[in-house]
Amino acid sequence: MSKSKTNFQFLERFDKRVAELARQAEKYVHTDPDSCMFKLRLMVETMAKKLTTLQMHGDISQDLGAMLGALERGGIVPRRQADSMHAIRRDGNAAVHGSPTPVPTAMRRLSEAYKISGWFCKMVKRGSQVKLDEFEPPKPPIPLDKATEQLHGKIDELEESIESRRNTTRESLLMFGPQENVDEVSRRITEELKALDNVAAAAGEPTIDADFVALVMAMDLEQIEEDPRHGGNTRKARREAEQQLEGIKKHLAEREKAFLEERTFLLEQRNNT
Amino acid sequence: MNSNETIDFATLWFLSARTMAIAGEELHAVQEAATGLYAQAILGFTEEICLKAKDANHISNKTLIDCLSGVRQLPRELAEKILTGVMMISYADRKMKPLEVRWASMLASAIDVTPDDYQRCCVNARVIASMLRPHGAKL
Repeated sequence: MSKSKTNFQFLERFDKRVAELARQAEKYVHTDPDSCMFKLRLMVETMAKKLTTLQMHGDISQDLGAMLGALERGGIVPRRQADSMHAIRRDGNAAVHGSPTPVPTAMRRLSEAYKISGWFCKMVKRGSQVKLDEFEPPKPPIPLDKATEQLHGKIDELEESIESRRNTTRESLLMFGPQENVDEVSRRITEELKALDNVAAAAGEPTIDADFVALVMAMDLEQIEEDPRHGGNTRKARREAEQQLEGIKKHLAEREKAFLEERTFLLEQRNNT
Repeated sequence: MNSNETIDFATLWFLSARTMAIAGEELHAVQEAATGLYAQAILGFTEEICLKAKDANHISNKTLIDCLSGVRQLPRELAEKILTGVMMISYADRKMKPLEVRWASMLASAIDVTPDDYQRCCVNARVIASMLRPHGAKL
């Protein structure tokens, strides 16, 4: 790619600010990968704010993590795009907090930002045709020496391994396995449930008025929670559940910290040689 | 509980949970996330167990009758934890559809819980649902 060219030219027609941030990130990827990550993070934040304004109502937190979470829960950002946006957010935050960004990491995120950009354009202008060419990695201003090339190779391998471990964590947390056809499973379960419901009805169980049940349950719950017989259990359950949930969150945070440390260790080795 | 039994228990959890989510007619991302968090944070399954439990060999050949039968054979404490988790999935979208009520009722019958125990599970479920979901977050 020549110096005057950019992968992100197409963005100009859709969002000038996002296009500008993308171009800046592209410019810094070799010379200042930390700044590249700042720009990419800001780019994702600008995208998230725009999507939130366009597609969501109500008071959405301005924190990027929360905003992405809300967009994902609302079905506005698909899983693949959300994963990439979260990865940029995480690495951008790490750079802001002093963890050095290796060039291969910044390049990887830049390439992901390119893919997200194509999807983003379609979201902000419905029906628009965006045909993305293959991402062309910007060339370094001066050719890399052998040692740097080797280091970049190692960092790329590490990034692959981190990505794979993150995917495993993510897949383990989801309701369906990666190989399952969700529509097919849903159809089968719905059929079975309806059949069981018919059997129950035939056996003389009353037809369910779900709204009424929900209302009664909600009213009951308020009373039950105030009842000392259950109140104690509730408080204990909350404490226990909170502790367990905190344990999982801590475990996930520690793993992210370990990923960063592995990366930093590689960079430091290079600096010490 | 040995490794195979733990995988079977986890399969029962994922099958019960997804049935409740599907009974609600719309699959919300918040329910997806809550299912895995509950599996790991409350039921104590590892990532590996969760993945194996959702493997086609374990889950795709099981019907809802198998699920009810499996839950019935679990120790009472574990069965109640499944019921609590399933109710949490149901509360996640703050609505109840007829098939959700039916599934909860069938699970409760399989476990043979008393009304008091069932209410306790519901209270705990609501507590956990409110914890797993950020305040005021949209679905």
